[in-house]
Amino acid sequence: MSLNPHQIFNESGIQERGENARLSSFVGAIAVGDLVKSTLGPKGMDKILQSNSSGDIVVTNDGATILKSIALDNAAAKVLVNISKVQDDEVGDGTTSVCVFAAELLRQAEIMVNAKIHPQVIIDGYRIATKTAIDALRASSIDNSSDPAKFRSDLENIARTTLSSKILSQNKNHFAQLAVDAVLRLKGSTNLDNIQIIKILGGKLDDSFLDEGFILNKTIGVNCPKVMENANILIANTAMDTDKVKVFGARVRVDTTGKLAELERAEREKMKAKVEKIKSHNINCFINRQLIYNWPEQLFADAGIMSIEHADFDGIERLSLVTGGEIASTFDHPELVKLGHCKKIEEIIIGEDKMIKFSGVEAGEACTIVLRGATHQLLDESERAIHDALAVLSQTVAESRVTLGGGCAEMLMAKAVEEAATHEPGKKAVAVSAFAKALSQLPTILADNAGFDSSELVAQLKAAHYDGNDTMGLDMDEGEIADMRAKGILEALKLKQAVVSSGSEGAQLLLRVDTILKAAPRPRERM
Amino acid sequence: MSKAATVPVAFQDREKPQEVRLSNIMAARSVADAIRTSLGPKGMDKMIQTGKGEVILTNDGATILKHLSVLHPAAKMLVDLSAAQDVEAGDGTTSVVILAGSMLACAEKLLKKGIHPTVIAESFQRAAGFTVDCMKENALAIELSDRESLLRAATTSLNSKIVSQYSNLLAPIAVDAVLKVIDPRVATNVDLKDIRIVKKLGGIIDDTELIPGLALTQTAVKSAGGPTRIEKANIALIQFQLSPPKPDMENQVVVNDYRQMDKILKEERQYLLNMCKKIKKAGANVILIQKSILRDAVNDLALHFLAKLKIMVIKDIERDEVEFICKSTGCKPIADIESFAEDKLGHADLVEETSSSGEKIVKFSGVKNAGKTVSILCRGANLLTLEEAERSLHDALCVIRCLVKQRALIAGGGSPEIEAAQRLLEHARQLEGREAICIRAFSEALEIIPVTLAENAGLNAIQVVTELRSRHANGEKTAGINVRKGIVTNILEENVLQPLLVNISAIQLAAETTKMIMKIDDITLAR
Repeated sequence: MSLNPHQIFNESGIQERGENARLSSFVGAIAVGDLVKSTLGPKGMDKILQSNSSGDIVVTNDGATILKSIALDNAAAKVLVNISKVQDDEVGDGTTSVCVFAAELLRQAEIMVNAKIHPQVIIDGYRIATKTAIDALRASSIDNSSDPAKFRSDLENIARTTLSSKILSQNKNHFAQLAVDAVLRLKGSTNLDNIQIIKILGGKLDDSFLDEGFILNKTIGVNCPKVMENANILIANTAMDTDKVKVFGARVRVDTTGKLAELERAEREKMKAKVEKIKSHNINCFINRQLIYNWPEQLFADAGIMSIEHADFDGIERLSLVTGGEIASTFDHPELVKLGHCKKIEEIIIGEDKMIKFSGVEAGEACTIVLRGATHQLLDESERAIHDALAVLSQTVAESRVTLGGGCAEMLMAKAVEEAATHEPGKKAVAVSAFAKALSQLPTILADNAGFDSSELVAQLKAAHYDGNDTMGLDMDEGEIADMRAKGILEALKLKQAVVSSGSEGAQLLLRVDTILKAAPRPRERM
Repeated sequence: MSKAATVPVAFQDREKPQEVRLSNIMAARSVADAIRTSLGPKGMDKMIQTGKGEVILTNDGATILKHLSVLHPAAKMLVDLSAAQDVEAGDGTTSVVILAGSMLACAEKLLKKGIHPTVIAESFQRAAGFTVDCMKENALAIELSDRESLLRAATTSLNSKIVSQYSNLLAPIAVDAVLKVIDPRVATNVDLKDIRIVKKLGGIIDDTELIPGLALTQTAVKSAGGPTRIEKANIALIQFQLSPPKPDMENQVVVNDYRQMDKILKEERQYLLNMCKKIKKAGANVILIQKSILRDAVNDLALHFLAKLKIMVIKDIERDEVEFICKSTGCKPIADIESFAEDKLGHADLVEETSSSGEKIVKFSGVKNAGKTVSILCRGANLLTLEEAERSLHDALCVIRCLVKQRALIAGGGSPEIEAAQRLLEHARQLEGREAICIRAFSEALEIIPVTLAENAGLNAIQVVTELRSRHANGEKTAGINVRKGIVTNILEENVLQPLLVNISAIQLAAETTKMIMKIDDITLAR
């Protein structure tokens, strides 16, 4: 009896315990870290993601995008993916760094666990180290927000740093300007919905531009005025055909064709009545999410009202946001409906497509970035890069302190942590100094990706920092250490802080794990 | 594994990135090789059998690639590249792919020398910028009033197509068409939707003609004996139907006895007659009827009445044609019989159905207050040549559009490429380090254009290209390959000219795509 194993779990449920569990989480997390490692930094490489199901390809260098799309089975790896997602939502950039950093912390932890240090001790050490690192980071940060000119140049530098690791690195000056202009229009809000990004195939990246106002990729109805100044816009989501009785099987019985004709006329009249109601809102532009049929379109055109049909959900919502109008679906109370306004509506040609441009809109923050590029992949990747830059910049406007990039901030933190380790009695000190090692891995990877001798460079960098040159970092164009402040390689404090704190939290979380339970997959029902 | 990242110069010790890169380059090059033979006036054509079994005969790079069902991600990017060139410039879709293939081939050699891919990518971008500057210097500025130059550019584009022997006929058509729809003094872009290419099988390409105003392939309905020629036409475009009423709701006509049947028929007659009378009363004598899915656009009875009233009927107008028809005839679409009024009509001196080579079309001539539109009637003996003629014409129109966008011409026959290559070599001599090698390689890549031109013309490529080099070195900036004579001559004297924009855009787009492919180091399977 005692020889029989106790079957506690369902047949396909799996339990991994102790050493096995830890090993599996280390291996998974480190593998994910290694996967995205090569995309880090200005000389980082891109990856092609080829979809298994549809065969679509995505070329990207954005950690969050890569991690989101690969299928993982390892529980720990999924935690890392989540960390990078959170980083994406909160700060928008640094998604690769946070993942790589967490993986490096775990790599160090693995060595310590093998040296018989209890995971809880490591966690304690990491906590002390995280606090020290962030304090050091904050102390070294600089706030230029009181001086608008300096602040703008800070923002441009941050944008350049962010973009230099992306596909746009060659055109980073152009796009940094673009992104800063767009973000400064937001006047401190972090709501990026006001910035619309339109991608149009053709042209080159340098042809991309920022346009104040809003661009809708639709056409104006036949015969309507093509240019409208001082427009009063009614945004609606309503069916413009006859209101059908939607009861199943409802039908009309008539005994003559004349009555049929009358019925048809009645339907027409109903459509006309609806148009009349809409007209009574005193508008000169009507935008509907659904189709506007020939007859209403003609009525609108006759009344000199510009009609735009079939604007998609996204377009309607943005329009309502930027023009300040509400989306209406009933028209009985014109006085209650809030209309949108803009100075001018006109048709413009971008590439081969005609689009409608709304300029001088109510929400002065709104603007549109039009991206041009050679391939769809290029455009998609550019959009991600611009989005990252915008997110970081808008966060920086809110939290204006900046710190230095190029591995400088990491080395600075590593130095502070290393010092803290020397004052730490007991074996926690080992964990604290391991944290410092993990931090200094980030500049190492930067150098590795650029194909430079990382050991040499990082050693030089470390020496420089210990000599008190705490603005030194890696210059990846020349392959040498340089003053990052002079080079203008800046990063947002919020970004770096988030990388360190959530990277370390993620690593701690995984360290605490000593059992992985896998529930049995739900049995498939017969189809 | 844990220490792998700290090995100095971690780049060479990993095989996979290099392999991925080489495989990408391989795939991209084979795409380029596939269409290489179609470049230039002596280029060959490709016959494509589509999945549906249709046969397409073409030498347009974008069309060939669109139908190649490529699988490899890098190859797909090249297909996109050609599509982007099509959008941006409309011509040079083959050149751009060949250039990208050649750049990648040169990059491959550099990679094997151990140069870091990002260094190559960035140097290539700089070299591309240099090339563009060089081409701009050598360009000849033109005025849109200079019809001769426009003609020459259009002829050069057409010379490389299947329809090359008709270039003397098609070039003036393309030039006149564009000049008609724009105001040459202020235009910076052309909306090609204002130029309608109407294809009609039968006849020969010689019969292709430019029709100011409108031509419709839909013929007049004659089944009821209606007129086919109307002078002093008043044109109405209707979007309602001339058939028994049919409301949107389901309906049923209930007939109780035979007398009622008579009544129904009589009412139907009356209903239609009333409509036709209203049309006559408004003065319309030509009506165009939009296609309807739900019911007959016009029935036999209505046709009969209309014929009696001497009204010409043309049916099956597609909805997307409405905008163009309105613009060219000055009429406004009428969506309901109630609003049928005189002010919505368009006027033309003559509307006539003409037949040539067994095919009929309806021509509208002498249109009053017409918008700026033209139609091109394209004829061809069989479907394949007809379609290729249309594509070629489209390319020629795009060439003229490029000249409207950027008013400069550059010599053809491979001369700008050789000139830029020479200048790049000079430039490379002043540089040191890896960039110098990369720029030399780029200059080599540019020479693919003259090499391919010579090869396709059956010339000795080495002989021709070396002769070109030496002539350019001696200051003959416009020496190029005269494919017709098979020798190197001053290409300006041969009137082989192309728009600057086509060349610039090809170089920039190709360089951008090369950069993107070079930056990829991994292909990951995603969900």
